[in-house]
Amino acid sequence: MDIISQLQEQLNEMAMLAVNTFGTLQRDAPPVRLSNNYPDPLNPAAAAAANPNPDDPTAQPQPQPGAAPAQAQGQATQAQPAQAPPALDLDEHPKAMSHALVLAAKKFDALVAALPLSSEEDQLKRIKELQAENGVVGLELQKQLEAAELELNQVEALFNEATDNCINLKKPD
Amino acid sequence: MAMATSSSYPPPPPYYRLYKDYEKDPSSAPEPPPPIDGSYQLFGATYTTDVVLPSLEDQGVRQLYPKSPDIDFKKELRTLNRELQLHILELADILVERPSQYARRVEDISLIFKNLHHLLNSLRPHQARATLIHMLESQIQRRKQAIEDIKQ
Repeated sequence: MDIISQLQEQLNEMAMLAVNTFGTLQRDAPPVRLSNNYPDPLNPAAAAAANPNPDDPTAQPQPQPGAAPAQAQGQATQAQPAQAPPALDLDEHPKAMSHALVLAAKKFDALVAALPLSSEEDQLKRIKELQAENGVVGLELQKQLEAAELELNQVEALFNEATDNCINLKKPD
Repeated sequence: MAMATSSSYPPPPPYYRLYKDYEKDPSSAPEPPPPIDGSYQLFGATYTTDVVLPSLEDQGVRQLYPKSPDIDFKKELRTLNRELQLHILELADILVERPSQYARRVEDISLIFKNLHHLLNSLRPHQARATLIHMLESQIQRRKQAIEDIKQ
């Protein structure tokens, strides 16, 4: 593909990367805590453990002091794997996408550097030179062609004469 | 219902009657009309035969790079690329701090893209001349080769 089309494609690619970056971040963003009156959506386990709820069997510290911390720990570790995949995405995705954006921008710069640019007068001058040279070469080619055709005709005539002589000399003995 | 569908299209223009004797006498029929020059109307829209890239002001878009007869394309393209990156970062920042003010930033980014594309489009005539130069060179090369072949 020619370099200008490549540059245009690279621009479109950068636009697509930017749109995808913002779109993915918006789609995968976790909910944000709006006010202290509502429970924190980021770590509901801590909120439930801190909540003094007598019906909740896991939040009873007095009867089993040793088992309760162990159970709270188990619940916390249970909640952690459920939260771990979103936490990973939040960290890795933006890094990967911004890396891709920067790479695309660098590629655009490299393509711009590879542009074979020259001024308009230089180009017009070169075109005039090439046209003149083309005319000269064309004339010479035509001359050569005519000479070659003449030679071909001569050779053909001689060949005809030779074959005629051959046929005439071959008398049936 | 059949009448409605059959009469929904206009009849063909009546010029075909002028070519009744075309087979016997080709000069009795009118000549084809000359090619149109300038602007013409087509299906209600006006078009022009002058093929020129409309400037950004004609399209109502602000021009970010300096206007001059000789533009250093590489420098301008690189500058606009840097501006684009900065604006993307700015958009990310403003989405974090003041999300309701995204519209202005998005407009800026699209303006930069329009300028970039316009710059690239204005490089096309240069590319056309370069293609012409390349074609002339290859033609000269072929002719020289033919001369050499004939001489041998």
